[in-house]
Amino acid sequence: MSAILEVRDLHTQFNTLDGVVRAVDGVSFDVARGETLGIVGESGCGKSVTALSILRLIPPETGRIAQGSIRFEGNELTALSEEAMKSLRGHRISMIFQEPMTSLNPVLTVGTQIAENVVRHMGVPWSAARERAREMLDLVRIADAKRRLDEYPHQLSGGMRQRVMIAMALSCDPQVLIADEPTTALDVTIQAQILDLMIELKEKTGTAIVLITHDLGVVAETTERVVVMYAGRKVEEAPVEALFENPLHPYTRGLMRAIPRLDVEADAAGTRPRLQEIPGLVPILTRPIVGCAFAARCELATDRCRATPPPFVDAGGGHIVACWEVKL
Amino acid sequence: MTAYIVRRLFATLPVMAVVALFVFFLLRLAPGDPAAIIAGDDATSEAIAAVRAKLGLDRPLVEQFVVWLWALLQGDMGVSIFSNLPVTRLMAQRVEPTIALTLSTLFVAVSLAIPIGVVAAWKARKLVDRLVMGFAVLGFAMPVFVLAYVLIYFFAVQWQLLPVQGYQPLSAGLWPFAESLILPSVALGVTYMALIARITRASMLEVLQQDYIRTANAKGLATDRVLLLHALKNASVPIVTVIGIGIALLISGVVITETVFNIPGLGRLTVDAVLKRDYPIVQGLILVFAAAKVIVNLVIDISYAFLDPRIRY
Repeated sequence: MSAILEVRDLHTQFNTLDGVVRAVDGVSFDVARGETLGIVGESGCGKSVTALSILRLIPPETGRIAQGSIRFEGNELTALSEEAMKSLRGHRISMIFQEPMTSLNPVLTVGTQIAENVVRHMGVPWSAARERAREMLDLVRIADAKRRLDEYPHQLSGGMRQRVMIAMALSCDPQVLIADEPTTALDVTIQAQILDLMIELKEKTGTAIVLITHDLGVVAETTERVVVMYAGRKVEEAPVEALFENPLHPYTRGLMRAIPRLDVEADAAGTRPRLQEIPGLVPILTRPIVGCAFAARCELATDRCRATPPPFVDAGGGHIVACWEVKL
Repeated sequence: MTAYIVRRLFATLPVMAVVALFVFFLLRLAPGDPAAIIAGDDATSEAIAAVRAKLGLDRPLVEQFVVWLWALLQGDMGVSIFSNLPVTRLMAQRVEPTIALTLSTLFVAVSLAIPIGVVAAWKARKLVDRLVMGFAVLGFAMPVFVLAYVLIYFFAVQWQLLPVQGYQPLSAGLWPFAESLILPSVALGVTYMALIARITRASMLEVLQQDYIRTANAKGLATDRVLLLHALKNASVPIVTVIGIGIALLISGVVITETVFNIPGLGRLTVDAVLKRDYPIVQGLILVFAAAKVIVNLVIDISYAFLDPRIRY
C-alpha cells in the first residue's frame, strides 16, 4: 500500500485571548490510496483541526500550521502557494462537513453548487458541468435528479443535503475525501444510509476516505484503520479489528467502556452494568502538556507518565500505541 | 412569485388611500379658511366667496372628498394659486432633473459603497479596512451643503473642470447633462455611500463566518466568486433594505442639493411652493413623493424574493 497522504509531526495552533492553543500537537499518520482511515476522539481533541489543516483552511487571522509536514502525492502542501492549494481543494482533496443544514449555500441552487466545482476544476462549460451534476445526484441516489438541480437547499431534507454534499465533494473524482463528522447531525437511520453510500462510492471510485468522528460505532462499521487522538496528539493507531479486539491505550479502553452494549448479559434484576465514563476533563490546551496528555485522567499513571511523553510502542501488525504502562 | 408580487401590489393601496386622505384634509384642517388662504392675503370677501364656490368648499366635506379624489384619479391635481397652471403640468416640467439627480446619486453611492464594503469585510481589521471605514465615517458625518460648497470651490471655481451650478436636460446632449450632475450627485451621494458601505461590511462579515463559505473555500473556488456570489448574495437583503431607505431619504435630500446647485427640480418647486403657501402644489408634491416611496418599498420587497429563495410571504 502506497501512501497518498502523509502527515508528519503536524502542529496547528490558535491565538486566543487566553494564550496559544495547541489544537494539534505533533500528529503523524498516513492515508493509503483507496483506504478508509478513521480519526476518532472526543470533541476538542483536534481531529477537525487536523482535517482543516490538510486543506489549509485554518483561518489565518487566528490560527496557523506552526510545524510539520503534509505531503500529498509527494508534494509538500504546507509549502504550496495559495493558488496551487485552491486548484487542489475540491479537486484532488475534497471535504464534507458535519452540518448539512448550514454547509450548503441557501441562496444558490443545488445544481449551481455542484456544477461550479466541476467548472472550476475540470475546465468544462456550464452545460457539461450541469450534466455532470445530474450524474452525481443520480450516483448519490437522489430521485428525480433533473428537477432537484434547480431546487434550493431548504427544499431538501438533512439526509438529502448530505447526499448533495457528497455529490459535490466527489464531482471531480478526488484522490482523498475528508469527511468531518458527516453523519453526526443526522437521524440514526439516515446515518447508516449515508455511511453505506460513502463506502459504496469509495469502492466504485477508489477515493481514499478520512473519516473523522467521535462515534466508535461508525468507526467499527466503516473504516479499515483507526487513529485515536487525545488532546491534540495521536495516542494509538491500529487496523480496526485489532483496535476493537485489543485496545491498548488506557484512553482507547476508556472510550470502549463508554459504549452501551447489548451483548452483555443483564443480571437477575434486569439491569445491565453501568457505563463507565472516563473521570476528569480534557486538559486545557493553552498550557504546554509535560509528559503524557492523558496522565491526569489515567488510573495507571506514574511519575514517569507525568514527566516524559511516552514514545510509540509497536504491538505488531500496524498497531502502535503511545503509553509507558502498556504491557505487550 | 407572481402571486407574491400581486399581493404586494394590493398591499400598497391602503397606504396610498391614507396618504390621499391626509393630503385632502391638509388644506381643510390648515388654520384659517382655505378659501381665504388660496385667495391670498389682500383678497376681498367677494373674491374669497368666489374662490370658495369655485373650489366647492361650500359643499359637505364628504362630497368635496369624492369630487377631489375623482379628479385626482383622472390625473387632475388642481391649479396653482399663483401661476394658474395645472399642478400636474408644473410637476411634469420639474420631474426630469429630480429623477436624474436621484438616479445618478444612487449610482454614485451604490457603485462605490458595495465594493468598499466587500473589501473592508474581506480584509477586516486590516489597514485597508480601517482606511476605507474611516473614510466612510467621515463621509457620513459631512453635511451635504458643506461638501457641496467644497466640491464647487475646487472642481468648478479653482480648476474649472465642471460647471458651478445649473442643470442641462438630457435633450441638451449626454455630456452636458452628465457634467451638470457630477458634483451634485457626489455631494449628495457620499452620505449614502458611507451608510451603504457600513451595512455591506457588517452584513458581509456575518456571512463570511457561515459554514457555507467554508464549503465554498473547501471547493477551491476563486476568491471573487466566494465573495461576490456566495457571500454577497447572502448579505444582500440588509444591503438592499438600506439602499431603499437611502432612496426615500434622497427624495428629501434632493431639496437641499437642488437649492445649492440651482437645479430646477421638484425639490426647488417644493421650496418655492411652501414659501408662497401654494397649497395645491404642496398637496400634489406630497402625493407624488409618497407614491415614489411606496413604489420604492414595493420594488425592495419584491427584490427580496429574488435574492433569497427562502422568502415567501
